[in-house]
Amino acid sequence: MDRRLLIQSAAAAATLGAWPLARAAGTTKVAVMIPQSGPAGLFGPSAKACAELAAETINARGGLLGQKIELLFGDAGLAPAEASQAVLKLWKGSGATAVIGMHDSAVRGALVGLFKGQVPYFYTPVYEGGECAKGTYVNGETPQQQLQPVIPWIASERKPKKWYMIGNDYIWGRNTNAAAKGYIEKTGAQVVGDEYLPFTVDNFDASLARIRDSGADAVLVSLVGGASVGFNKAFASFGLADKALRLGTLIEENTLAGIGAANAKNLYSSAGYFANVTTPAATAFASAYAKRFGPQAPALNGLAESAYEGFLMMEAIAKKAGSLSAAKLDAACEGASYNGPRGAVTMKARHVEQDVYVADVTDKGFRVVKTFSRVSSGQTCKV
Amino acid sequence: MASSLVADRAAAAGERRLRGRSLWPAAALAAALIALPILGNDFLAYQVALFLVYGIATQGVALCWGRLGFLPLGHGLFFGLGAYLAGDVLKASAEQPAWLLGLLPAVLLPALLAWVVARLLFARSLRSGPYFSLITLAMTMLGFLAAQQWSGLTGGFNGMGNIPEPSGLERFTTLYWLIAAVAVGTTALLGTLIRRPIGTLWSAIAQNEDRMQLFGYATDKLKADAYGLSALLAALAGALFAAHQGIVTPQAMSFVLSTEFVIWAAVGGKASPLGALLGAVLVGYASSELRDHFASWEIFIGLLFIAVVRFLPEGLAGLSARRSRGQAVPASNALVEATTAPPARAPKQVPGLEFNDVRCTRGGVRILGGLSFSLQGPGIRAVIGPNGAGKTSAFNVMTGRLPATGGRIRLADQDITGWPAWRVARLGVGRKMQVPSVFPELTVRQNLSVAVWAGRLHGLAALQRAPHGWQTSLRGEMMEWFPELSQSLDSPAGQLSQGHRQALEFAMTVLPEPHLLLLDEPCAGLSPAETHRMIDVIQRAVQRLGAGALLIEHDLAAVAALRGDVYVFHQGHLLAQGPLQNLQSDPAVREVYAGARK
Amino acid sequence: MDGGTLLHGLNLIYELATLALTTLGLAVVFGLLGVMNMAHGEFVMLGAYSVVAVQQWGLPTLVAFPLAIVVCSALGWVVERWLIRPLYARPFDTLLATWALAMLMRKVVEAIWGKGFRNVEDALTVAMPIGNTAYPAYRLGLIALAVVLIGALFLWYRRTNTGLRVRAMVGNPTLAQALGIDTRKLASRTFIVGVVLAGVSGVMLAPLIRIEPNIGVDYLLDAFFVLVVGGLGTLAGLAGGVGIIGGAQALVSSMAGQTNGYATVLIISILFLWLRPDGIFSRR
Repeated sequence: MDRRLLIQSAAAAATLGAWPLARAAGTTKVAVMIPQSGPAGLFGPSAKACAELAAETINARGGLLGQKIELLFGDAGLAPAEASQAVLKLWKGSGATAVIGMHDSAVRGALVGLFKGQVPYFYTPVYEGGECAKGTYVNGETPQQQLQPVIPWIASERKPKKWYMIGNDYIWGRNTNAAAKGYIEKTGAQVVGDEYLPFTVDNFDASLARIRDSGADAVLVSLVGGASVGFNKAFASFGLADKALRLGTLIEENTLAGIGAANAKNLYSSAGYFANVTTPAATAFASAYAKRFGPQAPALNGLAESAYEGFLMMEAIAKKAGSLSAAKLDAACEGASYNGPRGAVTMKARHVEQDVYVADVTDKGFRVVKTFSRVSSGQTCKV
Repeated sequence: MASSLVADRAAAAGERRLRGRSLWPAAALAAALIALPILGNDFLAYQVALFLVYGIATQGVALCWGRLGFLPLGHGLFFGLGAYLAGDVLKASAEQPAWLLGLLPAVLLPALLAWVVARLLFARSLRSGPYFSLITLAMTMLGFLAAQQWSGLTGGFNGMGNIPEPSGLERFTTLYWLIAAVAVGTTALLGTLIRRPIGTLWSAIAQNEDRMQLFGYATDKLKADAYGLSALLAALAGALFAAHQGIVTPQAMSFVLSTEFVIWAAVGGKASPLGALLGAVLVGYASSELRDHFASWEIFIGLLFIAVVRFLPEGLAGLSARRSRGQAVPASNALVEATTAPPARAPKQVPGLEFNDVRCTRGGVRILGGLSFSLQGPGIRAVIGPNGAGKTSAFNVMTGRLPATGGRIRLADQDITGWPAWRVARLGVGRKMQVPSVFPELTVRQNLSVAVWAGRLHGLAALQRAPHGWQTSLRGEMMEWFPELSQSLDSPAGQLSQGHRQALEFAMTVLPEPHLLLLDEPCAGLSPAETHRMIDVIQRAVQRLGAGALLIEHDLAAVAALRGDVYVFHQGHLLAQGPLQNLQSDPAVREVYAGARK
Repeated sequence: MDGGTLLHGLNLIYELATLALTTLGLAVVFGLLGVMNMAHGEFVMLGAYSVVAVQQWGLPTLVAFPLAIVVCSALGWVVERWLIRPLYARPFDTLLATWALAMLMRKVVEAIWGKGFRNVEDALTVAMPIGNTAYPAYRLGLIALAVVLIGALFLWYRRTNTGLRVRAMVGNPTLAQALGIDTRKLASRTFIVGVVLAGVSGVMLAPLIRIEPNIGVDYLLDAFFVLVVGGLGTLAGLAGGVGIIGGAQALVSSMAGQTNGYATVLIISILFLWLRPDGIFSRR
């Protein structure tokens, strides 16, 4: 199978090489795939802003291996077929030599199948784990990363006895809950519910009734987007916010805006970045962002900022490898590290070891209450 | 001799031109698709190939909507099924090339599913309207849910990835040729079918399905066959999609994709296979380009779509067609060689008719209140009675238009109560409606052809060119008796005057050679001279066929001229029956007509 | 009654009330006028965004009602005049034209407010004790308002002169015209009433739902399924449809998960569309 793949990719490379490539001297073209439409489209403007800031910052320090970065944007919010077309236009049509992707896993699957390791691909957002393809570098948070230190900490702080897990019915929701189960049981608490909902659901009353009936005092919320907003609002309106704490691994600033701070009592979010993180590196980044994009800038959030991190990771590995070729990057990626707004980040097994922040919510938004340093991603890819 | 030879050669040349004309869209397409990678580059070809694939599925939607008049809102289901099944087959074929044969069932199974569903749906209800669309929509949504849930089969949200191309083809270069060939093939196939009798039948169903049923065409089967074909196109496109993209996600089976097919068909031209294909290619490709430059390109697409729906019902293809509004189907089949039609399969005796205490109540109104009468043997009988007596309703209840709430109707020794119109028609019944019911957008020639084919056209004959030239001696006689028809053979039937339309409909009613004619006020709206001629023609036709006829008529002079038995209906039952003179002296009848009895 | 059962009961009533509320507008437009308005859900969305706008401008929340009514009336009048009226005889084209309209409405709202989620606050969304359980006061208010609104619509349709004229027009448009009823104006007004009802339901629901430009499609589909199953043009049809669709979804969801609940709604709708397209209680 590998041999066939090799022959196929060699053949593809040979024929694709015949396509016209526009190459301007002295610049490196980087394709940036962010959702500009579809359900995740709301992250488009902020992700784009972070990508632009990243390119400018790197260019200010001399560029990527001495070459200025030129950004080419593509819409990753479409169906995977269309997203593949879009990235192909940037890669083979416009000559991009690296791809930064901040989009969902379905598109990632399509892109990985398309690239076949021929172009370095940096996948940046929080996701379900398990991506080990050649030429792929993941700096997003994994469930293990977000939960392994956090659940025991919550257990020691708040001492919940019964956890209820609810998630969207797809691989990220299921993987997150599965990982959580182990950590929860290790703390001596009991899992009293494990429920999955399709994306289209708008009414969570039945689930909330079950949560109430189960007597749970902690809820793991593995819902995304609109479902997360709707669920958390309804949760609070039934008065459950006082009865049970909530922990979510994909509750970022936009989702919080939808939920409303008043409905976020006893809500904890575990992520690699919040706009309100007060470390020097994070504050410097936030003020650079505000300065660059002004007061009307799209609100900073964890997913958008991950795109910035992707650029930093690309710079770090490229520096270590001395080249942007896929093979050399693969050889050099293990152990590459940098310091960015999230803190110190090191690449291990195609994923990153990074700091994890736990935040609760005040009327000013997220407030970091605990920081875990250098948390392992829990992934076992061979490089 | 020499002149007929010349005429033959001219006809043969005309036929070749005709054959060529039906294929020019496909030929033009082929030329463009060949030029594309040469003038452009392989990358452009790769991009366009995706939209060609979508275009093939769009052609399926356009077939149902533009030709047959019902809108499938859920073609994504068959596209996605074809894609997932082909994906499985292609993956298996990487190990074992023999698996490639599995591509055939991968494409046929969704089509079969569509056909079965359509048979079930259309058999229930004549109204294939928006309810059918909603059903297809709901089915696609179910499919989408299943595709996301059953991740063991489909890979769930992340999709089925790592699908290889069929062996021997390379995704970024040679696969384009396969896709282009299929696109040219489907365009040619659809273009040909439209010009064959089946195309005329499809158009006729869209224009007047009731009439088709009255001829004995099982329109539910015809519609289901067409739907199955359109699903086949969608599944074929889905299989090509799997090969082209290498990954199939639930998006391929979604409501969103289904609506995109509809939008592309609307903008490109739903009545034209090439138009539908180009709609997908142009609009789809333009969208993907615009998307990179315009944040609000979707507003533009929305406005374009509204404009097309409001002002350009035939889409962009409608702009280029020099066809007048009245030629839904190309009328060039005038050049097909004339041959004798096979004999009609309608039974050759007059089917005996018996109404047995038939009752029909609707919304509190008693339409038929125990109607009983019988009819045997050839000859014209008149049916008279005041308005609301139930004359037309008796016909309606016989031909499945009105449900009987009591009693039984027997025809040719079979109980036909509740039978659909086409089944009754196949027992040898022909019906002429009160308001002349023809196919307004077909030419007179095509209208007559549809009537001639009724009961004669079977199976594969609908796909051949020959039936366009079928002649029968009865048709020739109709042309003589109604000279105005032979003068307007190439005009759309909708443009005929009332009188000519009555003539056309009568001619159509007798051409399948039924042996029981139900004629509902055939002289309505005719001048006295025309009435006289119509009665004359009716008598001659009935005699020629040896048929029995029931004629609803108000004009007692005309009834007298017929000299047959007369049935008097009143308030939904038979009041009296017999020769006209007897009835004219019957006190009960006189009371009803003088208004003394309600 | 123990707290759990009371809570389940209230949840069910709330679900049915919401479903009835968001279907009401389409019951008027599709049930009475026969127009398949695929932009129905977008009018609900506009109502929700009215509350967003009002809170953005710092005005009292109740101002959202007149705002939504004005916006939906104006848009409804324009749409009926230029998009629906010319297409009355072509049901498929109406379907497509209103679908395109829905696309446009989504994009315009997106252009103004962006794609992100909006949140509207309401003090009454906190739980208040009822019996042995606690239930958000706002929801109780919404249920009450839904009942009042449906009742008012019923009375208007059955007891007023305008309602009588509408019934005449719906039953026999030609005869109504012959009697001197201006059916064009009446149809236009009825359409406006329908879309205004949709907008008002959006205003009432705003604090309870997620608000973003794409919420319309789900309301549209649910409303269609309710009307198809229950029957067009009658209040009993609306109630029956809501009961069957809402009830079946709630029942199956509580036993077998929400995906199966939604699949059940789809299957029931398909069966009705196939076997009983007129629904249970139809005007016909």
